[in-house]
Amino acid sequence: MSPQPLESLKGFGVTLRSVFKKPITQQYPDFKRPVYPRFRGRHRLHRHDNGLEKCVGCSLCAAACPSDCIRVVPAENDSADRNSPGERYARIYEINMSRCIFCGYCELACPFDAITLGNEFEISEYSRDDLIYTKDMLLEPPVKRVPTADAELYDMPEPVWKTDS
Amino acid sequence: MTDDSTPELRPLLFAHAQDADLTKIDAYERAGGYASLRKALTSDREELLEQFLASGLRGRGGAGFPMGRKASFLPKPDQTTKPIYLAVNADESEPGTFKDREIMFRLPHALIEGVLIASYAIGAEIAFIYLRGEYLREYEIVRDALDQARARGLVGANVLGSGYSVDIVLHRGAGAYICGEETGLLESLEGKRGQPRSKPPFPAISGLYAAPTLINNVETLATLPAIIAMGGEEYAAIGTESSTGTRVFSLSGNVARGGNYELELGTTLRTLIYDIGGGIPNGRRLKAVIPGGSSVPVLDASEIDTTLDFDEMAKAGSMLGSGAVIVIDDRACMVQLGLRVAQFYQHESCGKCTPCREGTRWMVQLLEKLEVGEASQGELDLLLDVCDRILGKCLCPLGDAAAMPIASYVAKFRDEYQRHIEEGGCPFGGESSLEGVMAPVAQHHRDQRSAIEVPA
Amino acid sequence: MSGVDLVTVTIDERELRVPKGSGMVEAALAAGIEIPVFCYEPRLGPPVGACRMCLCEVEGIPKPQAACTLTAQDGMVLRTAATSALAKDGQEAVLEFILLNHPLDCPDCDKGGECPLQDLTFRYGPGSTRMHFSKRTFDKPIPISPLIALDRERCILCYRCTRFSEGVSEDGQLVALERGADSFIATFEDEPYRAHFSGNVVELCPVGALTSTAYRFKARPWEIQNVPTVCGQCPVGCNTWISTREGKVVRILSRNHPEVDEGWICDKGRFAYGHLDAEDRISEPLRRIRRHGFEPVTFAEAAQETARALRAAGSSVAVAFSGTETVEEAEAMARIAREALGSDRAILPDDPHPALDAWRAPLSAIRNAEVCLVLGDHPVIERAPAVDLWLRSARRAGAEIITVGPTGSVQTLPGSAPAVAAELASGSVPEELREASRRLRKATRVALVWSEDDPTGGRPIAALASALRLGDGSGVYWIPSTPNGRGVAAAWHAAGAGRETTPPPPEAELGALIVSGDRAAADPVVLALAERADFVLTSAMFMSQVAGWSHILWPGSAYLERAGTTVNLEGRPQRQHPAVGGPEFHELALLAAIGAHLGLAVDAWPSFESSDEHAPLPARGKAVPVPVTPTPMPAGSEEGLALVTYESLFSGLSVERTPTLAFQLTEAEVELARADALAGGISTGDTVVVSSNGSATELRARINQRLKTGVVRIPADHAHGLGQRVEVRKP
Repeated sequence: MSPQPLESLKGFGVTLRSVFKKPITQQYPDFKRPVYPRFRGRHRLHRHDNGLEKCVGCSLCAAACPSDCIRVVPAENDSADRNSPGERYARIYEINMSRCIFCGYCELACPFDAITLGNEFEISEYSRDDLIYTKDMLLEPPVKRVPTADAELYDMPEPVWKTDS
Repeated sequence: MTDDSTPELRPLLFAHAQDADLTKIDAYERAGGYASLRKALTSDREELLEQFLASGLRGRGGAGFPMGRKASFLPKPDQTTKPIYLAVNADESEPGTFKDREIMFRLPHALIEGVLIASYAIGAEIAFIYLRGEYLREYEIVRDALDQARARGLVGANVLGSGYSVDIVLHRGAGAYICGEETGLLESLEGKRGQPRSKPPFPAISGLYAAPTLINNVETLATLPAIIAMGGEEYAAIGTESSTGTRVFSLSGNVARGGNYELELGTTLRTLIYDIGGGIPNGRRLKAVIPGGSSVPVLDASEIDTTLDFDEMAKAGSMLGSGAVIVIDDRACMVQLGLRVAQFYQHESCGKCTPCREGTRWMVQLLEKLEVGEASQGELDLLLDVCDRILGKCLCPLGDAAAMPIASYVAKFRDEYQRHIEEGGCPFGGESSLEGVMAPVAQHHRDQRSAIEVPA
Repeated sequence: MSGVDLVTVTIDERELRVPKGSGMVEAALAAGIEIPVFCYEPRLGPPVGACRMCLCEVEGIPKPQAACTLTAQDGMVLRTAATSALAKDGQEAVLEFILLNHPLDCPDCDKGGECPLQDLTFRYGPGSTRMHFSKRTFDKPIPISPLIALDRERCILCYRCTRFSEGVSEDGQLVALERGADSFIATFEDEPYRAHFSGNVVELCPVGALTSTAYRFKARPWEIQNVPTVCGQCPVGCNTWISTREGKVVRILSRNHPEVDEGWICDKGRFAYGHLDAEDRISEPLRRIRRHGFEPVTFAEAAQETARALRAAGSSVAVAFSGTETVEEAEAMARIAREALGSDRAILPDDPHPALDAWRAPLSAIRNAEVCLVLGDHPVIERAPAVDLWLRSARRAGAEIITVGPTGSVQTLPGSAPAVAAELASGSVPEELREASRRLRKATRVALVWSEDDPTGGRPIAALASALRLGDGSGVYWIPSTPNGRGVAAAWHAAGAGRETTPPPPEAELGALIVSGDRAAADPVVLALAERADFVLTSAMFMSQVAGWSHILWPGSAYLERAGTTVNLEGRPQRQHPAVGGPEFHELALLAAIGAHLGLAVDAWPSFESSDEHAPLPARGKAVPVPVTPTPMPAGSEEGLALVTYESLFSGLSVERTPTLAFQLTEAEVELARADALAGGISTGDTVVVSSNGSATELRARINQRLKTGVVRIPADHAHGLGQRVEVRKP
């Protein structure tokens, strides 16, 4: 192709103009863009109002998981000192966050709305072992918070776990 | 009880019952008893079976199957290596029916004679009488009659010197309606849980202990002496073409003179209820009639000109059934009637097949709700759908016997059911004649505590 | 298929030719049409038509019919829910009724994921319920034994469990009580369900009403891996699936070999795997350093030292087998001893007579027998439980079962089986055997079962079969005392090129002794040899006195941890596959290394592929006439009572280490005949002292109506030290 000095100048013009335009880069972590309310982030295991865990260890979340990252080992509830309302509870409940693809199938599969995906995405760690979240970690509310957009602005049905025990 | 002067009555079975105590064998023989047996023992077995067929006798237990045809289904003694049995269904439990009770109470020897004739005709080795456990007096009477018959050489080895031997075993049931169903009866007789078997194989081929068995109702067998005496064709001349002979009808309910009446088949319900039974007392009106025991659909007051005939009853949408005519006047709440009937079937269901076991309980729950006025319109439709879902799908006829009547009560007395819904309660306001007739036993929600001690 | 009447039936407008009288559910399945069922299970007897799930429309019959009760007749036209509104309505109605009072337990229920009710509801059922009343409730779950929990709310009353208990294992312990909607399942008289085959009801139950306590809440069907193998607890060799999760056995299911086990497993085979994780298991190779001290040793060192010792011992080597080894392991040891070292000394726990192969038959042939003769002191149900089920099914099908022994239909003194066999073979029999002899000779299909320990390997029964001239329809079933006794013996003999085997006498002073397996390690003869031998190599799972005398102690593997071939009592070679990892190196690997040192090429791994095939039975051997050896009947004696012992099924290392089976361990009981008990003033429940030449033991007495007068029976576990004749009296 023969040299095109006029076109090159046009190109440079674009570059020059862009240099002085205000960038649209959002400077994370100084600015954290709010996520949508239904954004799927870190999981949370929930409790009933009376303190019992909702999770009965049925393992449907593990069955639904496409990446096979949930490990559930159930155990019998001791009626004197129960953990969950059912006959069984999850003695071991682990999610391997490095495998999780945050699809939300576990939330859909759970018959008791025991597991939901919250909005936290800031979960990086320095070692893979630390990315295996145990039941105690999942039961606790997450430490950090990301800003969430106003739910009123979006069509979001109220999840059952927010309205029902 | 039976007034021989009333023209419609046709005592054939009870012909001489008024004159003497026919529970005594001497009186029975003096009145002509056991003559048919003597005649039969000298006849050819095939000939006897022909007589049964020619008589057109239809089973008097409820199903109305031609007796002669049923007997012909059994293999002949030389066609089978298994013993042949006769079973007598004396487990009369159809609500409203008390005719077999009368027959055993007053004509035990007629039953015995009929059993012997039938046993001989089919070549049975043993006849078993399965008697309803609650009939204690009748048990004692039949047992004594059997002892008398044995003493006279009528039962046991070499009956009356004919070379034919048959023994009769009298067995008492233990309180289960379902043991009146033929295969339920056979299971119970074998010592197992009284739950019906699926057919085929039919009892005629594989019955008691998997051997060929003829099973017949008490009245059916008690009619045989009369048939042998007069001949099958003469018997067939009585009654109607499809329903030959006479039948003992148990009349009960809101009627002046309830009781057992032996009538020629073909008589109308009106005749039985008004002319013979004395009509509805206390100036009430007739509302409904159940013509053949609680298992058959109800007829309303406009249908009482239907004749007591198997085919005619079927055409009218009901059944002749066990011949128990229950008269219902206008004081009775039809929802309460439905509930009481449904409670019976729930209690008596054997539990083997799913639709009957679950469906009868569900019907009771819905009817309870209807009766107290808490049901919605949808639940009345649901009740009809439940009846429909039980119909035809069960292992034995008990499921149908529960579903068909309830469906007929709703169909024929829909307005009464509607009023329960709309008025939020029973329109009879506690004044119904069926108030307080509900089953005394809690029908469901029975927690079974376990007492099993398991080693650690 | 000559001689079979074929008829034409039409199912969902597809025409099929099937044998007359075949079940319509199977016929439909053959055409690829599914007819859903719950209560239908052909192994439980004739169909009952109870659940009504299989309702179909039959042309010419107005009401829907239960397809499971229908048999193929020529011209039958059947329509399932796929093509008939009547059938579809029936199916939906039945499912609605089943679910009416069924609890919403799926997340809690162990059956979830492998539940026919779930599957059929998904496929054919209603999407929601119309039942808004409270469902009926029960106390739940109720343990009916330490092994099984019953949840009455989930029960759909298909009666499979009661039919199994009544009509297959015939223990009559599971019953249905009450009637109608109040019906529920219970145990007879509220006793715990204690039977040899109780675990099968867990597999039979189509819902989560009967569940295994051992498997409770362990895993979901999508979390387990299933490995096909063959049980190694008894000589039957039932085919099984081992379900494992994260490298541990969580349960054992049946793999239904129709000729061997028909889908049933005894409770020992099903539950006794606690020994795999037992704390006292030998977990690594050990070398003896002092009198009873051990130190770890590497694989290479162990192989080297053993090979050195063996070479030094030369032909003064003996191998003590347990009968639990695989054929490959036995072959390796046999070749090391016989080929490499030139020694023919071995202790074989079982050694079948070669003529038995002429009447080889599958266990399923017992069902078709006209006459079954069971000879021997050892109760068949304790030694080969599946055979007991086959005999019962034969009896139900009309066969005559004749048992000869201390508790038989013909009662004899202990140890009389060889004599009885000889008498029956010769034809001159005493009065009590006359009927048996007549029937045996008249029948064309005979099953002979030999359940006795005799050193001739069943020669008396072979002689009887020979004398009766048993043909193709008959079979001889010799029951060895060990799971792979047959395979081990065959492997040993094959390596010997026809040479005789000499069992070493207890006082022999050996250069080397190889003790293979815990059973051999528990043998007092082996202990005597071990004390005197210069070198002992023991392969065992647990410590014992013999292990204490070993120079090299090798961690044994359980049958669930190894691959190999086992030969069952029929003579059928079957493949075992490892379900879980055991010790780091298997016995076969060690033997291969030892072999290499001795110049022998032995494969460290069996050479077959993993598969779930059902192994076929090899063809019969050639019939060789076996002469009858006249054997005298054991003499009765006036002194004391004759003692017969037996090894209970629920005994042994695996059962002892499985806590859920503790309730099945044999009681410390002595069974007495009624007359003897009365003579001694003893009733059932009394504590008595049983003594014989010096040793005595206290046991609880129990009267056994079927026991011959003059005989007492004690489980071997509680009869240590007692001789053949004993005295029984109250203390």
